[in-house]
Order: sequence, then structure tokens, then C-alpha cells
Amino acid sequence: MSLKNVMENWSAYRKDAEAGGHHTYEHRWAMSINLDLCIGCNACSTACYAENNLAVVGPERFAKGQAMHWMRIERYWDVEDKEYPDQGASFLPMMCQQCGAATCEPVCPVAATYHTPDGLNAQVYNRCIGSRYCSNNCPFRVRYFNFYSYYESAWPEPMHLQLNPDLSVRDKGVMEKCTFCVQRIRVAKDKAKIENRKVKDGEFTTACAQACPTSAIVFGDTMDPESKVSMLWKQHQVTRAVYKQHKEDPELRGYRIFEELNVDPSVMYLERVRDTTV
Amino acid sequence: MSGKLNRRDFLKALGLGGTATLAGCDMPTTVTLEEGKEDVVSYLLPEEYVIPGVGVTYASTCTQCNAGCGVHGRVREGRVLKVEGHPDSPINAGKTCQMGQALVQAHYNPDRIKSPMVREGGSLVPATWEKAQALLDEKLGSKANLAAGRVAWLTGTVSGHQRALITNHLESVGSNHHFAVEVVNTNVWSAVSRDMLDDPQPQISLDKAKLILSFGADFMGTWQSPVHFAGQFSRMRTAADRGALIQVESKMSMTGGSADLWVAIRPGTEGILALGLANYLIANGVSSASLPGDARDKLAAYDMQKVSNATGVSTATIERIGKALKNRAPSVVLAGAAVEGQVNGYEAVSAIMLLNVMLGNIGQTILPSGKFPLQQLEAKVGGTRDLAAFAQAAAQKQFDVVLVHGANPVFTAPASLKLDEALASVPFKVVMTQFPDETAMMADLVLPVSSTLEDWGTHVAAYQAGASNISIQQPLMEPLYDQTRGFGDIVISMLAMRNAAQYGSFKDYYGYLRNVFANLKGAGATASLSPDEFWNNSLQAGMIKIDSTPRKHTVKASIAAIDAPAADANFPLTLIPSARMGLFDGRHANLPWLQESPDQIAKVVWGSWAEIHPSTASKMGITHGDVIRIESEAGGIEARAYLTNTVHADAIAVPLGQGHTEYGRYAKGRGVNPLKIVKAAVDAKTGELALFATRVKVSKTNKNEIILRLGHSDTQHGRRLVRTVSVDALKRTKGA
Repeated sequence: MSLKNVMENWSAYRKDAEAGGHHTYEHRWAMSINLDLCIGCNACSTACYAENNLAVVGPERFAKGQAMHWMRIERYWDVEDKEYPDQGASFLPMMCQQCGAATCEPVCPVAATYHTPDGLNAQVYNRCIGSRYCSNNCPFRVRYFNFYSYYESAWPEPMHLQLNPDLSVRDKGVMEKCTFCVQRIRVAKDKAKIENRKVKDGEFTTACAQACPTSAIVFGDTMDPESKVSMLWKQHQVTRAVYKQHKEDPELRGYRIFEELNVDPSVMYLERVRDTTV
Repeated sequence: MSGKLNRRDFLKALGLGGTATLAGCDMPTTVTLEEGKEDVVSYLLPEEYVIPGVGVTYASTCTQCNAGCGVHGRVREGRVLKVEGHPDSPINAGKTCQMGQALVQAHYNPDRIKSPMVREGGSLVPATWEKAQALLDEKLGSKANLAAGRVAWLTGTVSGHQRALITNHLESVGSNHHFAVEVVNTNVWSAVSRDMLDDPQPQISLDKAKLILSFGADFMGTWQSPVHFAGQFSRMRTAADRGALIQVESKMSMTGGSADLWVAIRPGTEGILALGLANYLIANGVSSASLPGDARDKLAAYDMQKVSNATGVSTATIERIGKALKNRAPSVVLAGAAVEGQVNGYEAVSAIMLLNVMLGNIGQTILPSGKFPLQQLEAKVGGTRDLAAFAQAAAQKQFDVVLVHGANPVFTAPASLKLDEALASVPFKVVMTQFPDETAMMADLVLPVSSTLEDWGTHVAAYQAGASNISIQQPLMEPLYDQTRGFGDIVISMLAMRNAAQYGSFKDYYGYLRNVFANLKGAGATASLSPDEFWNNSLQAGMIKIDSTPRKHTVKASIAAIDAPAADANFPLTLIPSARMGLFDGRHANLPWLQESPDQIAKVVWGSWAEIHPSTASKMGITHGDVIRIESEAGGIEARAYLTNTVHADAIAVPLGQGHTEYGRYAKGRGVNPLKIVKAAVDAKTGELALFATRVKVSKTNKNEIILRLGHSDTQHGRRLVRTVSVDALKRTKGA
């Protein structure tokens, strides 16, 4: 990308694919997470362990902050000064937001983390040298580093038989994170290609969305205007490639976390609702 | 037993006594396991449905709790990789909970028992199946000298043909002692429902409710059918007129975390609040016509101020709940374990059910269940009454042989029941289990059973969501170990020892089930199918729909006075041994995914902790992480204090799950088991243990330890990561 190109096409670069920006995206995988439906049950995060060969690190390493939960449920209390939390808890499923302008990407000295034509932040394990710059630069704190060869203890025989052969088991010195279940995306794309058709909305989903007992998580392709996730983004008037949403109806619940940092996250959250009239 | 069989005996042997017709089976879309042919073929020639690199999906049933969710197992190159929800299951509709996700870890667990074990010279030593079988034959075979009633089965909740076989086995040995034990149950709720509505498991329709008032029912975590109710809850939340949840409890449950209004209540006073609300409703124009004639007089004693004093809930809050109940119809009012687990649990749950009656919820959100026609297959629902009854009977030396499966009573029984001593006095104890749990370690004979993913089974969930079903569990892969046996296979072989005429012809449980299904097939849409077609279709669907006779709710309301638990200056706090989705009652403590998965509210991993309110803690000078000693009249435990305002100031909550002294590398020697210090009081009406009525005192030790938890901040520091809006804003955007 020459400087001239950047100067001349600046506005196109700052527009997203759906808005006719320059990008040549094939898909734009995205999510919508309805925080009014999230009950904090951990089904998603356990499904993620099962799907993505996440290592259980054990209590000692957990204490050092080395847990490998690509998807975690954060829990916050909003009212600190009350005797009891009378509005319940605030649950937040947090994983890689697959940012359109990801802060992790430009700092990688070896381009191990890069942007795919699907709009994902891919992590190339065998290119990663473990500088951990990406992790330090991630505002969401969703990158996890293999400080040890966790596989040596995480899957004692015969637990290793459960490992998903569609993706690798990571070794010491490598950064890893949520991939939006890229192995499932690949299978679906390959299948569609063989059958000479487009990937259909809902023909596959991520492990977390599939498990979620309340269907709080919706996954799909925002390049497909008919997809459920596209319609949700539209319904909530959330657009990409902006650091501040300009909604016709500002009360619509869709928002993106840390979008003011101009990182263009691919996950839209819907605000939690509390009925204070009961 | 005669050598000849008539058809009725035959159907009884197959668990099909009773009458049933099948509803139409839907044509399924997935593939079944091919029939058990045993040809030796090269790996180079895979079965035609095995394509290397491509996963195939098989239907089965989850057994991580008793809800009976349908699952799809993904199998690749002969091994199960992942479990997903069965999209067509009326119970879970394609969804799973975290325990279901961890089903594969129970299967691939490194601590499974790999061969039979026999007690020799005081310790358990590995043995062959021949030896195990010979021992069984000696103690339980046709030549065994068994007096009537000297054999007992001790199981968890069990249903389907496993239950039918247990019943038939007991009959073959001249006994009828089947104890089913579960510490997480809804038996008092069922007893009240049976007495008040003539329906032990009424169907709950949260999705039709505009308001849920839940007295400690963790309906999305541990109550009846959690995934099913989470789905209903989701529909309630997304309805055009969003339904609200008011949760009243002494310790915030996972479900309580989603409440619009969370109310902390003094432990054991939920029933009083329910009566107070009934009184409020009558005073504010809700008809008492559906109640007994003396209702008004009896309820008048529960005026707002008195109820507020007893429960610790402010009068303003009581009024708020009362108004919501009055204005939002239909509602649904539920009662959970902490209400049931009191000495007057039955009365308290009755008071809560009374609200449903008054508010007209019966027939709206509480609907009649179907009467399952095959009684032999219905769930034998476990409880704690059987735990105490077994301990008592065993202590009185009533049994020569005890057979245990699907339960770990040595872990779950409060120490005051002295169940371990009673069990030790039984001359011959057989434990059929996958894992070296506390009960197995006391056995004389340990039989290693197949995992859920290796074994056959049929299940009839106690809570039948929607239509009546028999869920089918099928092996999704070859057994990992050649010295484990299917549970059904073991029972069939024991039955054959006693009754060769009826059971000798079944090679194994699979053969038995094929016979069952050949006889189940009959009426309706399935009549034209061949037995093989019917069998294959059933496996593909993972379930068979059964026509059940609908019950009718006839309301018989009654009101009993409820007293608050007596104060005790020596034991000022009430112990809450809370169960949660995840480790559950401790049965999943050996699954590393669930150990490393945080408690939903406290966010703690890998250990035990004691939740105590900051105001209570500060009075005693306790700070976060202090190791405290919690003592009841029945014993003491030590745990790290976790200061939180999600627990009532008069309570101390110690979650269930940890404190195993056996049970493999992930569970053993980790944390404490609060059940051990529970005092053996019972709910007078049902005989269930009052697990939530134990009074304790707390003292400091001089230790302070780190509590391991996810996240370092309880607040968002104003960053608004999770944004909250009022329901009015939601209404203005038309529910978007």
C-alpha cells in the first residue's frame, strides 16, 4: 500500500465492505450477543473448550493468569453501595471481537496475526514467535499465551482422544485466541464450493452460539444481507467502520464495546434490560 | 418361576407392562450406528458411512443430570469428539448446558476404572470378570441362600428399561428395596403439586408468563430441566411484552443473577413471605374464592409488618412484589431447594403454590402433565428421604447384599446419618461405577461400567417437557476398555442367574432392547414398519413419542401456619449448601473443564469457599480470604471467606461439589463438602432431609489464603461494558 494510494483512497479505506469500501471481503463474519438473554451459565465457554482444544491449566497456573478460556463470562455488579444487589448481575461474554481495524495486527513483528478475506483476525501459529505485543495491544484482553507446553498435562490419556482433529494443539511460545470457529467456517465454505453455491445462513454456527441455552448469541455473515445477524445489525442501526454510531433512534440497544477506540469490532452487543417497574 | 412364559410376563420382563400407543415418529435425518456385525476388516476398508476426515452425527441422550436432554454426538474416525444438543428434542431443542458439553470428559476421563475389583484382605484388588461373575453368582445366583427382602438396590434417579430391569431383578431375589438418592431434587415441590393439583410434575410454561416469582428455584441451573427452562425464559424475555423475573432467596443463584428484582430473604422464611403476599393480594382485591373458607382468617395473621420482621424483607419491597403479582397476569410462582429443605418445607412450598392458585396461574402457566402409560419405565425419582431410610435400614442390618449404581451416597450423605458405617456393616456391597468414588472404595466388588457414550439405555425424564417421550441412549463408539461392561448387560446377566427361562435368551442388553422395541412397535404411524425399520428410525430420532393420557388439575388448596426457624444464639447463621450448574452435587468434580469453569456468581474456580455478607464478616473481623471454621452440631469444616452481598447477612453459603476424599485426580482432596455438617433434620410431611436448615457458628483461624477466581474487578469502573437500559426504553423501541 503506497502512501499515494492511501492518500487518494482514504475515504474508501475508512468505509467498510458493506458500504462500498475498497475491501475485497468474501464474507464478514460477525456476531450479535443479546445481554438481556445471557444468563451467565458458561455453556458457551465450556463448548469452546470442547471445540477448540483449549488446555485446562490447573489451579496453580490459573492463579498466575494463564487460563486459556478464549470465551469467558465476565460478571459485574453495578451498584456497590447497596446492602444487596437488587438488580442481579451483569454478565458479559467476552472473546476476540475480530476487529476490522485490529490493534493486534500492526504490532506483530512477523505478521503472525493478520486480516483474512473473511474479516477475521487470523493467528498463524507456526509464524508466531511469542513476542506477545499483540496481547499487550488488545483492549479486550482476549489473547492467550502458551507459557508452557500445556498439552503435556492437559490431556492425560485417553483424554487426548477427544481432541478436535480439525485444528491444532498449540505448543509453548505461541499466542492463541478465539477464531470464530474458523475450522467450522472452512468446512462450510468447502462444502458450498463443492456444491457450487454460496454458504447459507444458519447452515453452521460457532460452538458457543450452538450451545447457548437462551440463544443469546447469533453468528453469521454481514455480507449476506438476508442473514439473521445482518438483519439484527440493521435493526439496531449499528454500522461498521465508525467510532461513534449515528443512530436515527438512539434508544436502540445495539452497541459495540470500545468502538470509540476505532477498532471496528465485529461483535454487536444488545444492552441488558432491567425492569425497574416491578 | 415356571419354565413357560405367557405374554403378560414377557411384556413385564420387557418393562412394557401397561398400555401404550405410539405417536407418529418423525422421519429423522441423521444416521444410525450400523448393526453389531463383527467381521474382521482392514482399516484400509472403512465402513461405507465412514469417510476419513468427515464427522458423522449420532443421536443419543445426555446423562449428566436427570433432565434427559437429547444430544447429537459428532463421531470421527471411530471416536466421539463433541456433543451438541439434539435440534428436535422437545426438552432442549438443540441446546446444551456446560455439564452436557463435558459429557465427553466423563467418557475419556483418565481415572475410569478399567477392570473389576474385589476386596481381598481389606483392600480392593483388580480381578477378572470370571471371578467377579462367580462372586455375583455365589451371592445372588440361583443357589444363593437369600431370605426375602435381604437385597437392596441403591441408585440415583433411574428410569426406562434400566429401572424396569432393576425392579425385575429385585423381584427375582424376593425383595422390593429400591432406594433412589439425589441431593438435588424437587421432591417437596412434587409432593405439594400432587396433593394440591393431583399432578406430581405439572408442566411449567415460563414463556407464557408475564412475571416469574421464584423463591430460590434455580430453574436455569439446577431445577428439574434447566436447559428447557432457559429456552422458555429466553422466549419470555423476547416476547413483545417482556416478562420480568423476581427472585427471592438467601444466596444468589445463577438464575437470580438474571433477576429484574433480586430480594435477599432471611433463610427459611420464604413460606412466611408467600403467606404475607397472599394476605396482601386478598386485601387488594384478588379473589379468594379458590381458597378454603377459612383462608382469610388464617392469612390475616400475616400482616405486612409481621412478615417484614420475620423475613427481613422491607414492607416496601413486599408491596412491590404484591403489586407486580396483582398487575401482571399470568404469572408463575416457583419454589426451590432452599424452601423445600426446611423442617416445614412442605408447608412453605404449599404457601407458594397457593399463590399460583389465587392468581389463576393453574391452567395458564402451570399445566397438566401427561400420565405416562408404561409405569415400569417411569422415573424412580431420587431424594434424600431414601438416603436417610437406607442408612437406617442398613444400620439395622436389614440387608445381605447392596447393589449401587449411579449414586455416591458416601459422599452426599450428611455425616450425622452415619451412612458410611451402616454401609460398611452390609456383608456384600457391589458398586457399579465408572469412577473410583467414595462409595466404590467401600465396596466388596466394584464392577466397571461403560460410559454413557458406550452404552445402551432408555430414559423417561421425570419432568416430561411438552410431549411424553422415551429418550434413547446408544453407544457412539466402541468401548475404550475391554474390561468394562454396560450396566444393562450386567443386570441382564444377574437376572439370567435367577431366571434363565425369561432372561437366559438375551445375549445382552442390546438384544433385550431389540426385543423391547419389536414389542413397542404397533399402533399408529409405526404399524407398517418392519421391526428393523422401527428400531433404526427410533435410534435416528433419539426418542420415541408415547401417547400419554392428559391429567386434569383439580385444585385442593390448603393453608398451614408457618413459623420462622427459631433463633439460636450459639449458632447464629444458617448454612446454605448450594448446588450449581457445573459441579452440581459433586458428581462432576472429576471433570477438569467444569473445575476450571468459574462459579457463575462468585467466579471462583478449583476449590471451596464460604460466602458471607460483609456486614456479618466485619462484626467478626473476618476479611476476604480468611480461612474460617464453620461448625454445626454435626461437625465442622474450614473454608476461605468470600465477602459478598449476594448472600443474606444471616446466612453463610458453602457451594456443593468439592470435598471429595476419592474420585480421581481432579476431585480428590480439593475443598470441603458442606453436606457433611448438615444436621439430619427432616421435612415432617415428606421425610426429605432439611438440607437448608442447619444452624452454624463461624470462627476465625489465623490463616488467610488467595481465593482463585476469574477476573480482578467486580465493577466496570464506569466503562459501561455491559450497558443497562430500563424496560421503558425497550418498549419505546418496540422490543428491538
